[in-house]
Amino acid sequence: MGSEIQRIHQLLVEKKISCTDLVQGKLDELTKSTSNTSNFLLTDYALNLAKKVDQNIANGKEIGILEGIPFGIKDVYLLQGSPASGSSDFLRNYISPYTATAIQKLLDAGAIPIVKENCDSFGHGSSNENSVFGAVKNAVNEKLVAGGSSGGSAVNVAKGYTVFSIGGDTGGSVRQPAGYNKVYGLKPTYGRISRYGIMAYASSTDVVGPIARTMEDILMVLNVMSGKDYHDQTTINSDNISLSDCQDKEAAQKLKVGYYKSFINNKAIEPGIKTDFMALIEKIKGQGIEVVELDFLDSETLVSTYYTLAMAETASNLARLDGTNYGNRITGTNLKDTYAITRSENFTVETKRRIVGGNQVLSQGHSEEIYLKARQIRDIITEQFESEFEEVDIILSPVSPNNVPEIGNSLKDPMTMYLSDAYTVGFSLGGLPTLSVPVGPSTGLQVTAAKNQELKILQFSNLITA
Amino acid sequence: MNNTQAAIGMSKMMSLEHLSSIRGAESSEAVEKLFEAIKNAKSSNSDSSHRLKNTAVELDDLRNDEVIESSEDVKKLIRQNFPMEKNGYLVVAKVIEE
Repeated sequence: MGSEIQRIHQLLVEKKISCTDLVQGKLDELTKSTSNTSNFLLTDYALNLAKKVDQNIANGKEIGILEGIPFGIKDVYLLQGSPASGSSDFLRNYISPYTATAIQKLLDAGAIPIVKENCDSFGHGSSNENSVFGAVKNAVNEKLVAGGSSGGSAVNVAKGYTVFSIGGDTGGSVRQPAGYNKVYGLKPTYGRISRYGIMAYASSTDVVGPIARTMEDILMVLNVMSGKDYHDQTTINSDNISLSDCQDKEAAQKLKVGYYKSFINNKAIEPGIKTDFMALIEKIKGQGIEVVELDFLDSETLVSTYYTLAMAETASNLARLDGTNYGNRITGTNLKDTYAITRSENFTVETKRRIVGGNQVLSQGHSEEIYLKARQIRDIITEQFESEFEEVDIILSPVSPNNVPEIGNSLKDPMTMYLSDAYTVGFSLGGLPTLSVPVGPSTGLQVTAAKNQELKILQFSNLITA
Repeated sequence: MNNTQAAIGMSKMMSLEHLSSIRGAESSEAVEKLFEAIKNAKSSNSDSSHRLKNTAVELDDLRNDEVIESSEDVKKLIRQNFPMEKNGYLVVAKVIEE
């Protein structure tokens, strides 16, 4: 499958479709959809931009590759003058005062945002059921969850309502819904794309991530959004990656692959996912690619380390939400009472669970025993990745150990939901780039490389999907 | 002493409800399980004072400490987002010293 962006670009250039009709068509599809992917449609904003693109084409101006391409934005990003709710009651009426850097770069390239997409509230979830806008339905089977937290974004892409969408990934929130809906989802190297203008969940692992139907589209969007940003001091310099390099099969063939036997020889993995993953490994070996087994920490330790740190960070980040300067304030008898009522009434149960857990782990008596130990384990994980990527170029794993759950079950059993992130959270803690590819296991394949080695991921993914 | 007891002990200093500004905040079973797993996890260095990796931005990479004036558009939207306004003033909660 070739680039969808390129295909639509060609239609626009050849005047086989107008940008206005294209955008209106997508908005109509979103309006009619029963998948519950949209928190807010950006109808006037998008149609106004589409009109300008049509004028440029009519005037004979050359348009850029992303100009006029409709895309979706997870509702945790700021777009000046548009709502940004974080799928919460707290910010249901909040209007973004400025625009996130990643989104601004797409706007500068001429892409057109058409929808703020449903997601787990403040990114707190792995099923997209923790949303005040209701659960998002899976694109393949409506009885199943969309995955989370960027579920609305993944479903919109899978259904074709958006050409690409911008999700956010803290512990798997782009990769897992992409896998659940059989599209591509990239978590870039931490710092490659600015986090300025995204609602912070866990700042040390939060990344901006594109979701698309083809690897080529992921690449184009990645290149546009990458780069250092004055507003985010954790950003790093990076070079653009060329499509021809990604399509270099000779280079891909030389990549050495590893996989964690601790992930696969584990009683928690669904037998079908294990079988499909191992069948893919055999197929890769059959292509003459060297594959080795690796050892890793057990899933329980990985998940616990991630959630301990993520909860601590989200407790700190969401402390700013108290209804004083913005958000849905509920007035109490005094300042503290106002804080307490506002936060108690406006956060969801799962968000409150994470905030309370975070404050617990940061409090006296727990900090050293749990929080600092979790940070030590994170250091061990990082060192292990550094040593493993001296031996291999690519690490493969299923995106998730379980099949896609039915809607209605995940929030009842938070521990099971947390454990569904077992294969994604480790790579987040390591800050590594990793791509969810719709091949192999039913919930997708996760392709990971060392920091700043996105090219190897894309080369390898191109090889195995060709 | 388990976590619940620790939390109760801690409450004499500052309760989870107080720390979180969330009414009825208490430790949850699922979160306790995560914490237990961390306590039981093997760590190559059991010394809690083990120096953690420095992940801070290098001094040379820090941006200048400067104030950048927001545009009028931004200021207007920030004011619009303020939860309560009365007679042209932004209303905040009454602060009572305890």
